[in-house]
This record gives sequence, structure tokens and C-alpha cells, in this order.
Amino acid sequence: MSFLRTENLSYIYGEGTPFCVTALNKVNIEVEKGEIVAVIGQTGSGKSTLMQQLNGLLKPTEGRVLLDGEDIRSSKAKKLETRFRVGLCFQYPEYQLFENTVYDDIAFGPKNMGLSETEVDKRVRDAAKYVGIPDSAFATHPFDLSGGEKRRVAIAGVISMEPEILILDEPTSGLDPKGREQILSLIKNYRDRTGKTVIIVSHSMNDVAKIASKVIVMYNAKVLMTGTVDEVFEQSEKLCQIGLSVPQITEVFTKLHTMGYPVSEKVYTTEQAYRELKRVLGGGGANA
Amino acid sequence: MLKDITIGQYFPLNSVIHRLDPRVKLLYTFVFIIFIVVSNNFVSLAFCVACALAVTFISRVPLKTVIRGLRPILLVIIVTSLLQIIYVKTGVPLISFWKIKITSGGILEAVFITLRISFLIVMSTMLTYTTSPTSMTNGLDRAFSPLTKLGIDFNIVTMIMTIALRFIPTLIEEVDKIISAQKSRGADFESGNIFKRAKMLIPLFVPLLFNSSRRAYELAYAMTCRCYNGGKGKTTMNLLKYKTNDWIATFLTVVFVLGVILLNIKFGEYNAQFTFNAAV
Repeated sequence: MSFLRTENLSYIYGEGTPFCVTALNKVNIEVEKGEIVAVIGQTGSGKSTLMQQLNGLLKPTEGRVLLDGEDIRSSKAKKLETRFRVGLCFQYPEYQLFENTVYDDIAFGPKNMGLSETEVDKRVRDAAKYVGIPDSAFATHPFDLSGGEKRRVAIAGVISMEPEILILDEPTSGLDPKGREQILSLIKNYRDRTGKTVIIVSHSMNDVAKIASKVIVMYNAKVLMTGTVDEVFEQSEKLCQIGLSVPQITEVFTKLHTMGYPVSEKVYTTEQAYRELKRVLGGGGANA
Repeated sequence: MLKDITIGQYFPLNSVIHRLDPRVKLLYTFVFIIFIVVSNNFVSLAFCVACALAVTFISRVPLKTVIRGLRPILLVIIVTSLLQIIYVKTGVPLISFWKIKITSGGILEAVFITLRISFLIVMSTMLTYTTSPTSMTNGLDRAFSPLTKLGIDFNIVTMIMTIALRFIPTLIEEVDKIISAQKSRGADFESGNIFKRAKMLIPLFVPLLFNSSRRAYELAYAMTCRCYNGGKGKTTMNLLKYKTNDWIATFLTVVFVLGVILLNIKFGEYNAQFTFNAAV
């Protein structure tokens, strides 16, 4: 039994109006403990809607979401409990900051959980450490921070609830390369140190290849593919057809391959590229 | 709750009402609102209601959707009705307890007020349901264009109105998003006493205000970049012209106005006692 699972999950926005849109159509996904799952897909393919289903914010039109084998919407208490167990960080979360200090904003979630003051304090400090916000910034007004810093404070606000599943909706969008790097490494850190599950929605194939252990491809409100990074990016043609792409480095190696160089096409990260080149060049392939 | 705010929403269909000239719709909605307030007895009110229903029917906007637009003002309706029931003492006494005496007059007055407020709102929402924001501005702009000759740039006013209307759905979406985000952090907007609930508005309004002003600045810059400088010398691509349907609408509105006036004169000012006795 998977840790988190959806069963024929469907969702229609604005049912009964001329604007009605099917955002999810019989979606079945499975997420295991400790995985980093990346959800990719075009804008409007239903990724964000799926994320809001996973922590029970939206009521499915059909089907259900099971966490540890139990329906997350079975009771009101269960719904609230799920919000804390499945932490959802929205796209552009920095626009949801509201407290007067960084500290208070990170503490909002744990306080709502009804934790003791010492526990809240511990969690705030832990979360801030994960995202790289120094203690000295605690008293700062969130609006005085830079975009990347605000983003990290907002993510800390979700991490501080120590959710078993951390969902991040396009956590790197609109950030500069340094900001992206920081966010990605903090996600990886969080998983490695806590062993918790992370689900991220992303448009960057490079980011996905770098950190994901499983990839879910959404297209037109449905799940089109599920698999490891290799399994998904292997099908570059299919991905291009639905308006997605493969990581840039993969494109480079595919090109090299078609040009006749004896390199593998299955290269998805710079690290793999380095190893592949070393293999080809070092292993008697100097003439290549 | 927020999904019920339908004022300013456009319901794209292709009915006769949708195709009417926006100036016609604007003016006649205004006329309707004046005359539903003027109508002073049940018969003329019923006539107004019937006309509003007819317009709704012709526009093909589902009645359910129109009625949903009333939900936000439900509280206003309930409070006014209660006040009428408590304070109007005409007619036959029905129930009396403690210091409150409920009379038939009070109840009839409450029904009267409810109908009047409801259909006033129904007609106003019909206007936005059937008129796209673009054609609404266009209409306003043209309707008030004579003012330009007096040196008043009405285009700025219509621009402000359009932007306001245009941003209602955006802000609703924004509020929904912020609520969802704060809910994800365990915020509980639905339970607790009034003080707790009021306190929960802070996580909602601080980001909302902040984001709105950010949006306003961005929009202003974007407009400046596209050389917006008010309506001076502005021409339009789609010139508005009155068509046959607009003249038919005008005729029907005149009929409506005369109808209300005649019914008002014939049945006189509504008198609870009289109406009740007549009904019995």
C-alpha cells in the first residue's frame, strides 16, 4: 500500500457554468515514503489542482485521496490533520507573508497546530536553518527582504510544521540562478536529513533531472507517464509533442549521438555528463 | 462564499440582451432601478418583477446563477425584513409575545421590501452578466462623451470603473489563493467566536492589500509604457450604432415606465391594512 495515493481523482472547476473546466480526469498516482516526486506538465494541465487535492483543500468531484490508506476527507478532524501532515507551499508563496517579523511568520503554522511555545520555537529555528535564514534576520519585517529570501521564509513557514509530505508548487519560478540553486539544495537537504517525502511541481526539466526520484507527467488533466527520471526523459519525442522538453544537457548529448559520437543519450544531469565524457574520452575513445 | 460574488461578472452567451447596445442597457437598467423603487404597491411591484424575470429569461442566463448573486446581500435582506416585521404595526395582529407584536402588515411590508431589494440586485447583475467589460466601458464612454465638450475627461472615469470591474474576479481569485495558502498552514477561517474570526482576517488582508497595491503600480507602469494619457484624442475601433433591437428595447422600456406609473396611480400607495383585507 502506497503512502499517498489517489483513486480515480476527478475535479471540475465551475461545474454548471459556461466556464466549467475539467482540471483532473481520473487521476491515479502513488507516492512512497522518502521519495522526491516531480510533477511536470504544461500550464493548465492540472498540476496545481492535483496538489491542492492532496492536502484536502479542494473537494474532489469524483474519486478520493488516501493517506496511509485512509480517505483524507472522511471527517473534519481528518481534514485538519491532513493539512499538517501534507504541507503545501503554493506558487509564489512570498505573496502570502503577513506577519510583522520573519519569526512570527514562520511560527504561524506550528502555532495553529497548538504546539507548546518551546516546541514552536524549536521548529521555527530548525526550519529557518533548513532554508538558510540566519537567526539575526528573525526580527526583520518580511517585506524588507529580497525576493529569494522572502521565498525561503515562506517555505520555512511550511517546513516548520514538519509535514510528512512537503509539496512545493513551482518553488523556483521567478528566481535568479543562485536563488534556484538554494531552493533546490534545501529541498534535497530536507529530504536527506528527515527522510520525508517531497513532491515538487516544476517547469524546469533541469531541476527535475537533478533532484527527482520519480517523475509524473500530466497532460490535459490526465497522468500521461510515470517513472524514474530515465524512463520519462527517454521519451523525449513524446515530451516534445505535449509542449515539454528534456534537460538541456540531454539535448546536447542527443545531438552528439546523432552526429556519430559514441556517447550515450541517457544523460540527464551535468554530473552524469561528466562521467559519460570521462568514460568515452578516458576509455580509449580519445579519437572520438 | 466568495464564489457567490457575481457583481461585475460577465456570463458570455449570445442572446438578444447580450447583443443590445451597452448604452441602452446601462440607461434602461438605471430606469428599471428607479421605477422599482418608485413602484408603491404590490401590483406595480409584481409588474416590475415580471419584467425582470422576462429579461432574465430572454438573456438565457440560468435563473439559478442569477439567484446565486443574491446570496451576498442575504444578510441585508434578512435584517431589513426583521425590522419591518418588528416595527410595522398595521394590519391584523397575528402573534404577540414579550414586547414584540407581529402583524400582517409587518409581514407584507417585509415581503415587499425583500422583493424590491432582490430584484433591484437581479437587474443590476443582469447588466454585468450580459455586457462584457469592454463593451460596458465603450458604452459608458460614448454615453458621457458630451461631457468632453465641457472640458471633463470622462474617459478617465470609465477607465477607473473598468479597471475596478476588471479586477473584481482577479481579487476574488487572489483571496481564494491566500485563504488556501493560509489554510495549508492550519489557519481556520470557519470556526471560533467573532474575535477569533476577526483576528483571522489579518493573514488574509495584509497580503491582499500588499499585493493589490503592487498590482496597481505594475498596471500603472504598463499603461504608461503604452502611452496612456487619458481619453484625449482617443478614437474607437468599434463605433456604436443603435440597431432595430435597441429601438424595440426603448419602446418596451417606455411601456414599462408607463405601466408602473399607471399601476401606481390606479392602486394607490400601498397600504398594508387595505391590501390584507382585500386579500382575505
